[in-house]
Amino acid sequence: MVQINLSKNSQVKKGKYFKDKTGSKNLRKVNIYRWDPSSGDNPRIDTYEVDMDNCPSKVLDILNKIKNEIDSTIAYRRSCAHGVCGSCAMNMDGKNGLACTTPHDEIKGDINIYPLPHLKVKKDLIGDLDGLYKQYQSIEPWLKTNSKSDTKEIIQSKKDREKLDGAYECIMCACCSTSCPSYWWNGDKYLGPAVLLQAYRWIIDSRDEERQARLKKVADELKLYRCHTILNCTSACPKGLNPAKAIAEIKKMLATANI
Amino acid sequence: MESKKPLSPHIQIYRWHISSLVSISHRITGIINIIAITLICLWVSSLLLGENTYETINLFLSSLMGKFIILGITWSFSFQVLSEIRHLIMDLGYGFELKITKITGLLVIFGSIILTVIFYLVGKNFI
Repeated sequence: MVQINLSKNSQVKKGKYFKDKTGSKNLRKVNIYRWDPSSGDNPRIDTYEVDMDNCPSKVLDILNKIKNEIDSTIAYRRSCAHGVCGSCAMNMDGKNGLACTTPHDEIKGDINIYPLPHLKVKKDLIGDLDGLYKQYQSIEPWLKTNSKSDTKEIIQSKKDREKLDGAYECIMCACCSTSCPSYWWNGDKYLGPAVLLQAYRWIIDSRDEERQARLKKVADELKLYRCHTILNCTSACPKGLNPAKAIAEIKKMLATANI
Repeated sequence: MESKKPLSPHIQIYRWHISSLVSISHRITGIINIIAITLICLWVSSLLLGENTYETINLFLSSLMGKFIILGITWSFSFQVLSEIRHLIMDLGYGFELKITKITGLLVIFGSIILTVIFYLVGKNFI
């Protein structure tokens, strides 16, 4: 259901202000969404003054600096710091992306950092992605070969392999799905761009034998056709992939195939 | 515990892109158009009631408010047509690159304004 306003317990209040203690002249204000599950209070925005003279170039570096030097209570996910693991996906300056690959000098004015949109917050910048993972599981993201033997290599031509380019690189960071208004309103039924891109990846794999069944499974008013080509997904993807195009390709296959 | 978890902000904080703006406008103009077509049908049927009704409606349509509504409907139709063409091309699988979506989005926005002016001038001078 479309619910534009946030419910009472989700409304964001003004939080604490952490004044700079280093005496640096090159300061930036960083506003971060905070919520502590043990307190029972509403979420709040804490503001930190960060010394930019001693801070590396990415948004994740700012978060690390705050956690190490200013406020150790802040919680966020991160791991590889090289845009490969997809852990540090969050909303920066109104757009989803990976904190480890987003340079902070591309953001004008104060730096606003929120968790990925329209998720149940576990703590601070950590959103609950269980629903998305369950949907990912529902498309059965593994190779299905019934007739071929397990011991022999399944050959794939270079041309067929090329079809997977732009789909297999997905790191499942959820930047796209949580940027999609359709997914916000119908996230319980609509699969969302991330999962549909993966569904597409298995549908077009020449080695897979369940193509028809996969297409049939995804051909659903709510699962697939809630995509209205808003294209927030494509503009959010930190890996430069195009989930919207993949969804359009699935729709095209369904329109032209006899199922 | 479960229900206590807050929902992270979404539409309140997400930045608008040209593509999302065109998409939501497409839906809004769609609804306006359905209402507009209904009103136009009612207007046409009201002619059956005779000259008096015609005069009254004519008076309303030539007022400032009436002109605003006519212009609004013309824009809404223009926008819908251009945006629909954009969506049809996308349904064929073309125009998904970020740069191109931006360009086609801008074309739809500015094109709808130009079309509105053309429709209005043509309607005023030749019909």
